[in-house]
Amino acid sequence: MKSYDVISTRANRIDTPDKATGKAVFVDDITLPGMLYGALLQSPHAHAKILSIDTTEAEKLPGVKAVITAKEAGQVKYGVSPARYDETVFAVDKVRYVGDEIAAVAATSLDVALDAVSRIKVTYEELPAVFTVEDAVKDGAPQLHDEFKGNLCAEVHQEFGNVAEGLENSDIVITTEMKSKRQDGAFIEMQGCIAEYDNRGVLTLTSSTQVPHYVQRTVAMVLGMDVGKVRVKKPYVGAGFGIKAAANPMELACCMLAKKTKKPVKMNFTREQVFMYGRARHRFHHTITTGAKKDGTLMALKHECWLDGGAYTSFGIATVYYTGSLLGGPYKLANMSYDGYRVYNNKPACGAQRGHGAVIARACFEQQLDMIAEKIGMDPLELRIKNMMETGDTTCNDLNMRSFGMAECIEAVRNGSDWDKKKGHMPPGKGIGMACGFFVSGAGYPIYRSDTFHGTVIVKLTEDGGTALVYTASAEIGQGSDTAFAMIAAEALGIPLENVRLASGDTDMGVDLGAYSSRQTLMTGHATKEAAENVRRQVLEVLSEQLNVPVEKMDIRNGFIEFDGDTPDFSALRTRYIKEHRGWTDNPDSDKLTFKEASRIAFLERGSIVGTGKYKPHSLGGKFKGAAVGTSPAYGCSAQVAEVTVDMDTGQITIDRITDAHDCGKAINMTSVEGQMEGSISMGIGEAMHEEVIFDNQGRVLNHDLAEYKIVTSMDMPRVKTIVVESDEPNGPFGAKEVGEGAIMPTIPAILNAVYDAAGVRVYELPLTPERVFHAIQEYRERTRASA
Amino acid sequence: MLLPKFEFHEPESIEKALVLKKQFNSGARFLAGGTDLLVYLKKKIVSTDHVISLQRIEGLGEIRENESDLFIGACTTMAAISRHPAVQKRFCALKSGADNMGTHLIRNRATIGGNVCNASPAGDTLPALLVYDAAALVISPDGKRDIPLRDFFKGPGKTDLKNDEILTGFRLPNPPDHSGAHYIQLGKRKSAEINVVNAASFLTIDPGAGNILSVRIALGSVAPTPIRAPEAEAALMGNTAGDDAFNAAAEIARSRDCSPIDDFRGSAAYRRAMVGVLTKRTLAAAFDQARA
Ligand SMILES: Cc1cc2nc3c(=O)[nH]c(=O)nc-3n(C[C@H](O)[C@H](O)[C@H](O)COP(=O)(O)OP(=O)(O)OC[C@H]3O[C@@H](n4cnc5c(N)ncnc54)[C@H](O)[C@@H]3O)c2cc1C
Repeated sequence: MKSYDVISTRANRIDTPDKATGKAVFVDDITLPGMLYGALLQSPHAHAKILSIDTTEAEKLPGVKAVITAKEAGQVKYGVSPARYDETVFAVDKVRYVGDEIAAVAATSLDVALDAVSRIKVTYEELPAVFTVEDAVKDGAPQLHDEFKGNLCAEVHQEFGNVAEGLENSDIVITTEMKSKRQDGAFIEMQGCIAEYDNRGVLTLTSSTQVPHYVQRTVAMVLGMDVGKVRVKKPYVGAGFGIKAAANPMELACCMLAKKTKKPVKMNFTREQVFMYGRARHRFHHTITTGAKKDGTLMALKHECWLDGGAYTSFGIATVYYTGSLLGGPYKLANMSYDGYRVYNNKPACGAQRGHGAVIARACFEQQLDMIAEKIGMDPLELRIKNMMETGDTTCNDLNMRSFGMAECIEAVRNGSDWDKKKGHMPPGKGIGMACGFFVSGAGYPIYRSDTFHGTVIVKLTEDGGTALVYTASAEIGQGSDTAFAMIAAEALGIPLENVRLASGDTDMGVDLGAYSSRQTLMTGHATKEAAENVRRQVLEVLSEQLNVPVEKMDIRNGFIEFDGDTPDFSALRTRYIKEHRGWTDNPDSDKLTFKEASRIAFLERGSIVGTGKYKPHSLGGKFKGAAVGTSPAYGCSAQVAEVTVDMDTGQITIDRITDAHDCGKAINMTSVEGQMEGSISMGIGEAMHEEVIFDNQGRVLNHDLAEYKIVTSMDMPRVKTIVVESDEPNGPFGAKEVGEGAIMPTIPAILNAVYDAAGVRVYELPLTPERVFHAIQEYRERTRASA
Repeated sequence: MLLPKFEFHEPESIEKALVLKKQFNSGARFLAGGTDLLVYLKKKIVSTDHVISLQRIEGLGEIRENESDLFIGACTTMAAISRHPAVQKRFCALKSGADNMGTHLIRNRATIGGNVCNASPAGDTLPALLVYDAAALVISPDGKRDIPLRDFFKGPGKTDLKNDEILTGFRLPNPPDHSGAHYIQLGKRKSAEINVVNAASFLTIDPGAGNILSVRIALGSVAPTPIRAPEAEAALMGNTAGDDAFNAAAEIARSRDCSPIDDFRGSAAYRRAMVGVLTKRTLAAAFDQARA
């Protein structure tokens, strides 16, 4: 085992002091001289033709500086994937959901801007609207987009192996359905942005985003500007969970208002607008058939899914592919088919959210594994061990597991939860259940087709010596990536963490695709490591010239130069260093040559020492259509055990304990890894138990606040035991891979399996509200009474 | 959603508050903790030009132990109620209602008077106040009057309070010996929850014979206002306390005393079923205390 000085520790996060003392700056903390405030006019109708827009009254209002509509904004189509650009900043001829953007105002205060918005007169001709998948695909249903007949946004049909044959050769075949509800990410910071347009024509957008790079490209494309004249940066961001992983219409409108007024413009979503804008997890309806042999061997999986997409595509193309492709593991499965359909309707668009596309599919499938285990009288944990993939395996859809600690994870939760003692021996009303899952460490390809590097990093040593500056365009959104990259730079360079300073989240610093698909630790991590190693080599090269020691015979550790064998006489270097610091009281007197001295000498010899690093995955995956979605340089995997109590009279569920093991390759920061595991579990519990965006029959969100949209409170959160498994991923920097999303995969099915163990009921629809569970228990009682 | 502009008044006496209210008539609103009012103003459910704060009026925020009853000022916060020794000792169902309301931040601001005046069918302190047989103490330019809480609620958000009246507090008679009370709220998550159903029961027993000397059951979220369950109460009176009696009463409460509706928080059928469960459970817990 290699030993490390910085990574693998529980180093304090570098942003903690600022966040704890309120010093950390978020978009809403920023005020610029002369700044205007923007507001959006959004559609009150779910589906309507726009007959006319009259902005005269709004423009007349004192304090109003600009009013823009589709007329000024143009009709450039944009979206997430270039294969499906179906949005314009403002509605052109019609609106497609309650909240569709129609106009924007910039004024001297938010009050005035809102007042002006209310004075814009729009005449609508209301159109019939559809709100469900079932209604949207009916013959004669109102159509959202002329180009996509039948409201079918996307469909996927894949088969690997021979599913019909696999099912024929199965002894047990189980078919079940699973329905979920539309989610909201419920991040703490609502989207907000400030756009400025300087006198030289450069536009700077400061935004609460996960993806400065993609926002930069979208802004440039929609406004018709050079990418080089658009700079996007993010201050601290209060999370995103996938919803902030693309440019939003407010950011674009804000840029247009700044361009038009030549003044900084600030805009914010209210919580209500966050819900109106949507883009979080789709509502899924799965039907899965799984076949297995009597000995538990999995034979085939047949999967159909309908995704309730909302009015636009957003991430939907990727979602509908992920939904299928991420069932390929973590079990050996030779035959798998998938038919996925994403359907448009007159609700806000859905997009990506933690565990993109794969969470509910797994909730359906992992329950079936328990059903199979029950039928053949096998411990569900043993069934999983029997079928699990191992390091080096490739799924039938070409996902290759270069490292895979699945076995270690299962054993860890078995011991950690005392599974063997508890399974089958829980008292009435109490149950235990488990599930597994896996997830990508970054997508193999960027969202737009390109040979671009996925991340570039610059490390520069300060000229005085001793401090390394790391510049990365990656996005710290609360997950701790800044700390992880500072730690990686410190480790690779051989200096203490406190001697690293890091700046991130600015497109001027390079290319980084951003914080989504659990990519940054692996990808930005690689680039950081390469840049730091480059700098380290330059310093050692200079030392080599000065001391006449080959580079390979030297190392930098903990801020000191280590020599293989005898330490050469470095007194000349030290004298040179000290001469420059007459009168200083802290000149080096250590037995060892310090990094500070070495890097100062390097500067004196070569000028500023700058190293760059970059990362792009090697060519990955299969040749079939859609193979790009699901391929990744590495996969994290996890196993969880949930223990629950079910109140058989009220249907209330209490989650008593969760034991979670996750293989993250190598924990760069142990505490951050555990934080992601716990965060994933809390989001999974919310989705399993009470989160759902509810609409009225006009397509308006009924519960657009955090009182009625019920995320987990501290009282709902069980005790969580986190066990970190490290498998040393060959494709990861220092062996690291994902933890941010994979850890949510097993949570919902583990709870569902535990509920079955406790109450004897399988629930095929989320969330597990007391009412739904109560009805399931009633039905179960009636059924057992009837058969008794 | 910005708070609309209004004029803010902070009178230091009830008399001044009454004068201000009269001066602006229906144009003015009283403010206690503001956890309902400010939300309504922001959402434009309520509009007003004048807000009269009751926070500076002395005595409105106090809890006083009298010989035969407990006075709780209208502006007493949930946090203060929960902390008070007399409440903890003799009115535990009320403490439990106060503890279940919203979050820490809300409980530090929300007042009991505001909860009652807001008259939500789901209000967390209302079932307990009903089963403790509280009286609302009210003052107006014309004088004072007491309203039994039973008669206070007239519909969702509607009360017996007249436009020129201020609620000053509540009088809760001290529970007799051999009595007990219990409150349960049921929602989708474990805290910060708007109830799907909530219920409280109070009973006094004859310690020798074990029969029920007095009983009150209150149900929330299953009618336009929080309600008592008269038929279930009548069925219990004089009977021997115990599971049989409680089960029978629960069935009556479920089938005859409530009139729940469907909404996005829950269906009428589930609410009705839960009235049965919660009635039984609150009675059983109250009984446990009564014989302790
Ligand atoms: C996030 C959140 C969570 C919540 N959770 C719960 C919950 O779990 N359970 C629950 O029951 N409620 C809940 N509420 C609602 C609210 O907090 C309570 O109803 C609270 O008790 C109201 O008290 P207040 O002092 O804030 O009232 P205010 O908002 O100040 O007043 C409410 C109304 O009563 C009138 N009023 C107040 N005092 C007097 C008086 N003395 N005389 C005459 N009129 C008066 C006001 O004019 C106003 O119309 C929640 C609210 C929020 C914002």
